[in-house]
Amino acid sequence: MTAGTAGERTAPTPEPVAVPGPPLPAGRPARPVRRREARVGLLFVAPMLLLFVVFRFGPTIGAAFLSLTDYRLSGDWRFIGAENYARLLQDDLFWSSLGVTALYTLFFVPLTVGLSLGTALLLHRTVWLRGFFRGVFFLPYVTSIVLAAVIWKWIYDVEDGLLNAVLGVLSLGPVDFLGDERLVLPAIAATSAWKGFGYSMLILLAGLQSIPREVTEAAVIDGATGWRRLRWVTLPLLRPVLFFVLVIEAIGAFQVFDAMYVMTAGGPVRASYPLVYFLYDTGFKFFDFGYASALGLVLFLVVLVFSLIQRRLIGRDE
Amino acid sequence: MTTGSKRALAPLALLTAASLLAGCGGDGGSEANDVTVWMYPVIADPKANSAYWDQVEKDFETAHPGTTVTIEEQPWENRDEKLATAFGSGKGPDVVLLNPDQVPQYLGNGALRPVDKAVEGIKESFLPNALDALTHDGKLYAVPIYHTVTTTLYNKRLLDRAGIDKPPATWDEVKAAAPKLKRVGAATLDYSASNEATLNLNFYPLLWQAGGTVFSEDGKKAAFNGPEGVAALTFLTDLYKAGAVPRSALTNTNIFADHPLGKQQVAMGFSSTLADADLARKTWGAGNVVVGKPLRNAEQVSFGVPGGLGVNAKARNVAGAEKFLAFMAGPARIQSLGKASGFLSPRTDVTVPSDDPHAKRFQEALPFAYPGEPSPVARQLMALIAPEIQAALTGRKSPREALDAAAAQADDLLARQR
Repeated sequence: MTAGTAGERTAPTPEPVAVPGPPLPAGRPARPVRRREARVGLLFVAPMLLLFVVFRFGPTIGAAFLSLTDYRLSGDWRFIGAENYARLLQDDLFWSSLGVTALYTLFFVPLTVGLSLGTALLLHRTVWLRGFFRGVFFLPYVTSIVLAAVIWKWIYDVEDGLLNAVLGVLSLGPVDFLGDERLVLPAIAATSAWKGFGYSMLILLAGLQSIPREVTEAAVIDGATGWRRLRWVTLPLLRPVLFFVLVIEAIGAFQVFDAMYVMTAGGPVRASYPLVYFLYDTGFKFFDFGYASALGLVLFLVVLVFSLIQRRLIGRDE
Repeated sequence: MTTGSKRALAPLALLTAASLLAGCGGDGGSEANDVTVWMYPVIADPKANSAYWDQVEKDFETAHPGTTVTIEEQPWENRDEKLATAFGSGKGPDVVLLNPDQVPQYLGNGALRPVDKAVEGIKESFLPNALDALTHDGKLYAVPIYHTVTTTLYNKRLLDRAGIDKPPATWDEVKAAAPKLKRVGAATLDYSASNEATLNLNFYPLLWQAGGTVFSEDGKKAAFNGPEGVAALTFLTDLYKAGAVPRSALTNTNIFADHPLGKQQVAMGFSSTLADADLARKTWGAGNVVVGKPLRNAEQVSFGVPGGLGVNAKARNVAGAEKFLAFMAGPARIQSLGKASGFLSPRTDVTVPSDDPHAKRFQEALPFAYPGEPSPVARQLMALIAPEIQAALTGRKSPREALDAAAAQADDLLARQR
């Protein structure tokens, strides 16, 4: 963070130095030019900035305010200070949904990152039909999660699902994937990983392709075998990209909702009832908007802290 | 800097002024002799629904020259969210279709006005249950225009295969049928325990059949964890453990097609609709469909609600709104709406003519239809009870423990309301 800003500051300094004559009058004409440039630049980003302020920043501030109120759908509200947050700390449902979210993240992130790294490494090597496979692996990413969840719900079905039919042939099961409290989160994580890994795969593939050939070639000349090349050359060079992928997948996992909504409705016994589902119920089923906003803000803080930690880790590397 | 911000503010102010003017224009547009109505897809086929309500607009205006009616078709989805927002901002419709469980919620916000005047003289001809469900403190808040009902639906093929001649009509008969059906590889009783499935079609009918209630008499405490509730949940969990309730119950949501009942994996449902029976006739074959009376234990009861028209407390044209209510509650409209929607008549002196072979059985189930106990927290409460029922089904808690846990949460919720 600090290194970045320092770099930006040092970059324009050669400009006044290059202009001959006393520094004060020379500095003057340069400023309006730069200011005009800045104004033009601002003009270019203004539409996006406006959209961001109106649709992102504004609602966030609004939610922060709402979280301090008891807001009814009828429009009447009263200021209650930190009462919503106090209630949150004592709410078992909040803690259990937070636990489900954390556990889901632990299943989902390694699964997705492992899957996308594996396929990226394969695609990086295989030249034959690479475009085709890249397309095939990316396809689930562009399908709707609701559609994917409906199909996977059928695959996991305990009575006549595809997976249990396969297990039946092997004279195993039937396994109640979505009805067993211990299996439901890994099962949903697998569905989400299947649906989402294509995106991270593309990013990792791009990262792999940007590693200079000479480095790997040098390793080959030094006699490094495939595994050692991967472990000591490719992966360290891929680290920034890998961290980026980890961050976005983790943030995605914290915000999980739709797959659970469609596949289990949070069950059995709230074993797949994550924070965002709780937030949704509180806001849109119970119309308890103040409390829902407090939940949203807590989720925002969790994601923020997580992003900052990750950012620190990446920043140190570069 | 200051001029800059002034310059920036000028168009903003103009925009605000323009939108305010537009808002005023919108309000001024609807004249005092116009009645706006929010209607929902009561007729499942969207085209037939639009055609029906277009015709109602025309017929009403012919019958009442000088009063115009605008029927706006709304989707069922996010129904309360939209209605509450509209009422809250003072832009709600004059007339709106309401279910009994919505009434206390909007009544609490002061959004509804009594409609007794619209049914003056014909009040006695409505089903008492239907009127009760829409009445609060002695005042009627919606005029019933149709009534839904659910009852038992049996798969004769499965019953025959298990050697059961008489379809199980009581809890004891269900329990007795379970091992026989299991022998032929079928489950006995369909159930949906997903958190998104309404308890009105699942746990509550069993609770009522056991003689229990959801709330205490004054509505301030949970009552579903009494001995009746425990009996109902024990009945259910015993069947589930024995494989007599489909294993997929935990994720099922009362859908007929592609679910155990539709797929002929379970012999009976206790909350089936006429639409389910028609679908069964098409997929199982007419000879395999049996529609029975509501399931019986201590009580014989099933879920069914009146759909009623309520009037906005801020309606501009109250007289016109009442005229529309009376128009829709007349025999001609009740018959035509019932025929188009497949729903039943809320009046004892009017029956909906039907050539549907099962309609008569559903009509016979109507006197047993119960719309549930009205409460502003009805839906929230379901979200608390459903996971505990799952806990009982999966064996993590005993029926008593599960219901006690839900009741403790329910009492918290009820205490927060007051």
